[in-house]
Amino acid sequence: PCPRQVRSYYVDWRMLRDVKRRKTAYEYADERLRINAIRKNSILPKELQEVADKEIAALPRDSCPARIRNRCVLTSRPRGVKRRWRLSRIVFRHFADHAQMSGVQRAMW
Amino acid sequence: KDKSSASKDSTPGGAAERQEDGAETPKQKLLDVIGGMKVEVSYRKKLQQLKSSENKNQAMNKLEGPDSEGSVPQGITEDIQRGKPLDPELVKAASAVASSLPHNKKQTESELLAQLRRHEETTDKQKKGGTINIRNVLSEMTIKKQSPAQRGVRISGRISLQLDEDGQRLRREGSSAQSVDSRRYFLLSLKVGKRLNIFTKASTEPEHALKTVSSPTIWDLEFAKEVAAVTAQPPRNGFEEMIQWTKEGILWEFPIDNEVGMEDDAEFHEHIFLEKHLEGFPKEGPIRHFMELVICGLSKNPYLSVKQKVEHIEWFQNYFEEKKELLQEI
Repeated sequence: PCPRQVRSYYVDWRMLRDVKRRKTAYEYADERLRINAIRKNSILPKELQEVADKEIAALPRDSCPARIRNRCVLTSRPRGVKRRWRLSRIVFRHFADHAQMSGVQRAMW
Repeated sequence: KDKSSASKDSTPGGAAERQEDGAETPKQKLLDVIGGMKVEVSYRKKLQQLKSSENKNQAMNKLEGPDSEGSVPQGITEDIQRGKPLDPELVKAASAVASSLPHNKKQTESELLAQLRRHEETTDKQKKGGTINIRNVLSEMTIKKQSPAQRGVRISGRISLQLDEDGQRLRREGSSAQSVDSRRYFLLSLKVGKRLNIFTKASTEPEHALKTVSSPTIWDLEFAKEVAAVTAQPPRNGFEEMIQWTKEGILWEFPIDNEVGMEDDAEFHEHIFLEKHLEGFPKEGPIRHFMELVICGLSKNPYLSVKQKVEHIEWFQNYFEEKKELLQEI
């Protein structure tokens, strides 16, 4: 009865892995922030900072925000993705040409 | 600057004894801030002597938000709402501000207090009287107005009286609704004033009727669900669709309220003056220095709630306690 496409799976496994990384990064965000605050310091003693280095290396690898890739939401394309719409350039063009993107118009000047 | 701070200390000096202990230190810090502000205000006076009222407004804004963070305006209204007879702290702050301004002190103080009272009234009205105002507007627009309590009375009346089959009951409901509505239309056109249901007499009668009829049995709930499912016709137009979506939560309510999910009940001084959480740390040394920087950064952060900030500080406390042996080796 739904007029739009229904997607119950992620597009591919790479998208699933990206989703997992985002979840763990969200969970460990506070801890990473605090341990980094101890590490990037000129006041605390260096031994403490080395201990903090080891601690942050011991956190799960997927909790690092640098591992998140902003993929296209519909096609899982890793490149050519515009941040504002979270869509790859091809999908964006497709929807814009069919007048399904609100406020998006072909440029002419 | 010393003279101005001394004069300010004299005015709240006697009152400070009455205040609680917790409020003293932030209060004094506020007054120091005001003392510092006096220099700026006198400079402005030299530039714009005619705009005295604007100065007062600026002083009020500065008083209420020295760091001008996002959550401050809510904090202001909450401050004012707390003391229905105006908060004594606010009164003293108003007197301090009035004394810092170069114009007639008594006049400015009375005007500031009047402004505070006006703020109180408007915020009270908005918090409590909001729905009543909407009803006013609606009653002006449409004569056929049904309050939900009275509608509930009618439905419950039908439940108790008519125990026929569903079809017959619905038909009778429809006809009786029409007849009652037309009767109501007639009655409303005769009546002069608009019913606001503010006073208890008008509101308690339908409530009593509801209480006697509806009791939370499972059968009643199921029947209510059936009625809702039958009466919920598919939306006839885009407006009704949007209404449905707003009820479900798919569509936001307009005008957009930026602070819908956020209920930050903490005052601004709880966000800024975080030194009281630093009691578990040693008073000197690099750790204290580091924690003071942490607190400085947290106080400038408008995006975290007080709970989150306190959690940060407590985490650091735990962390440094665990590393105590390591630290003592150094």
